[in-house]
Amino acid sequence: MEISSFVLFWAAIFTSNILLTNFLGMCSYLSVSKEIESSFGLGVAVAFVLTITSGLNWIVYHLILVPLGLVYLQFIVFIIVIAAFVQLLELLVERYTPALYYTLGIFLPLITVNCAIFGVSLFMVIRDYSFVQSMAFGAGSGIGWLLAILMLAGIRAKLKERLVPIGLQGAGISLIITGIMALAFIGFSGIVNVQ
Amino acid sequence: MLMQILKDVAVVSGISTLLAVVLIIAQKYLSDYGICKINLNKKRDVSVEGGSSLLNSLAEEQIFLPSACGGRGSCGTCKCKVNSGGGPLLPTEKPFLSKTELADNVRLACQVKVKSDMEINVPESIFNIRRFQAKVHEIIDYTYDIKGITLKLVSPDTIDFQAGQFVQIESQAYAKIKQKVVRAYSISSKPQDNDRIQLIIRLVPEGICTTWIHKYLEEGSDVTFTGPYGDFYIRDTEADIIFVAGGSGKAPMKSMLEDLQVKGTTRKMTYFFGARTAKDLYLTDEMRSFEQVFSDFKYEPVLSKPAPEDKWKGKTGFVMPYFQDAIRDPKNTEAYLCGSPGMINAVKKSLIAMGVPDDKIYYDSFG
Amino acid sequence: MKKSPLEIKILSKMQPGEITLNGFLGEDSRDLYDIIAEDERTLETLGVSANELADKMQYFTDKSSDSFMDSVEIDEIFIVDTEVVRGKLPCPFSHPGIYRKTITTLTNKKYNITIRWTALNIHLIKEHHFFEGKNSAFRLDPQVLLKALFA
Repeated sequence: MEISSFVLFWAAIFTSNILLTNFLGMCSYLSVSKEIESSFGLGVAVAFVLTITSGLNWIVYHLILVPLGLVYLQFIVFIIVIAAFVQLLELLVERYTPALYYTLGIFLPLITVNCAIFGVSLFMVIRDYSFVQSMAFGAGSGIGWLLAILMLAGIRAKLKERLVPIGLQGAGISLIITGIMALAFIGFSGIVNVQ
Repeated sequence: MLMQILKDVAVVSGISTLLAVVLIIAQKYLSDYGICKINLNKKRDVSVEGGSSLLNSLAEEQIFLPSACGGRGSCGTCKCKVNSGGGPLLPTEKPFLSKTELADNVRLACQVKVKSDMEINVPESIFNIRRFQAKVHEIIDYTYDIKGITLKLVSPDTIDFQAGQFVQIESQAYAKIKQKVVRAYSISSKPQDNDRIQLIIRLVPEGICTTWIHKYLEEGSDVTFTGPYGDFYIRDTEADIIFVAGGSGKAPMKSMLEDLQVKGTTRKMTYFFGARTAKDLYLTDEMRSFEQVFSDFKYEPVLSKPAPEDKWKGKTGFVMPYFQDAIRDPKNTEAYLCGSPGMINAVKKSLIAMGVPDDKIYYDSFG
Repeated sequence: MKKSPLEIKILSKMQPGEITLNGFLGEDSRDLYDIIAEDERTLETLGVSANELADKMQYFTDKSSDSFMDSVEIDEIFIVDTEVVRGKLPCPFSHPGIYRKTITTLTNKKYNITIRWTALNIHLIKEHHFFEGKNSAFRLDPQVLLKALFA
């Protein structure tokens, strides 16, 4: 795949936003988007973990799984790598930046089960990205995810003051909003397409 | 085929083991803070195992900072000055600290983790604080919602405190309540009776600890408490004294007066007790009897809203207007106040207006 | 809907014995979100915001706490009395800060309604639109509250 990492980075944020075009990472997106502050904390953590794990998984995939002919083990191995990395990150953050540790709180371990992270690692394999491309795609996807959750949190903050029909309250209205946001993001897709 | 399966298992296990080893090494390196030295008031060093909170580390060394929530960062009472080694201020601490406290390096000991050698300042008086096991010796009903509880010490079997200080009781789990809570109560008995303490406790609506004390404690029950805490005690001068108490605020005053009775004093003292109706009055005879003990002491209960059936002939309304008669020389008057923050503020304002120096007004607020 | 960790944490803090003796939920078994939503709908029909109610409650608490051991009469029809007891309460939604245990009792002579609230109630209504669960000791029904607070 001949596409510059720079383009890939921006494309991952706008034209193929991991959340708004692939609808990955919905779980925490819906449940943590009630307040802008916590959404931002989670978003930053996701972006960071995404960037690093896509790099790590690229190394594991291309240097271990491919030479040994074990690519079908990628699912299980990627998950193990992500879980271990999040654990390590938690230790590091607690030791060196306790303030950040308290802000992120439960969000850090939650990232382990965020499917956007796993999804990006799988895309990287399917689309045959190089190492640099993978990192750029990971970082872009992370920032895209952060952007999406911040937008939803902002809209939901406004929504708090308004009356929503009972059946649509909570997840219902959030999904509708996400749908409209996704439609709006289609507008970007004319610029560059990486899917 | 078999080889393939073995190879799969080996690779997955290999990767997992590798990562696990990395994590174990990281954990060992990152979470091991070794033995840390905590320097207290530049006088005393204690060595503790790093990694735990400052509050707990100190408690293990038998140094008890006051804490009402048990280290959950919700009460803000375990403040102490951390001069070095405390790490950055955490968002969990900020709401509890004032601007001057922030500038003064004041932290919440339950939130600060011991990760390196530290230098901290704590009030001298806390070195005296111990954890006591005691048994309920006697329960007296003072009013419909105030009880006097006497605790006989089991271990340690004596306590050294100053009249006016308070202790913190740990309530046990009961009924629907599944966890212990810690609450502060003033000692109402005199320091000379050092094998027991008496507390005067008012039932607080929806209060977890006071409900336990009022409804579940009986003679012989086991009670755990720590103490003594606080810097509310009689200053050893010759100045005139005004005591003002409301509700269960009578406890420290009772302790102070009984203490003065043993030590003897000729100071002029006036004790105002503010209550709503006659049914809120208690220990009136005991307080009155001090008028015979001291050369110049007066007990003045003031009712704000006496009920018609009380047939109250004494003073009514607020306590403040009556201070004027009790003050000979405002500059040579000390005031000791115990009650709700509203009462303390109003009384303090009025005393200052009458010329009593700000730094001679001592109080124990329920805050 | 699956409960988020935050929601579970809040609900656990609202249980009896966590922050207050009998908890915040009373006998209400509904979802926290539903409790709040229903009261919000009531507010909408009544045409009053939680903010306005909370501000008025704060006004009465402030007015009456200056007078520490007596009730005060305000605007001729309200008799208000604020009592402070020892201790402070944290917010079950884990908002920073702690609220003094003040209990304000208000009697509206015109309608002969008596209601009471704590400093924490004001915060819960203002910031979280939470009026507590059915039959909770400090449940404040928005309809009654509106009637009692505004003559």
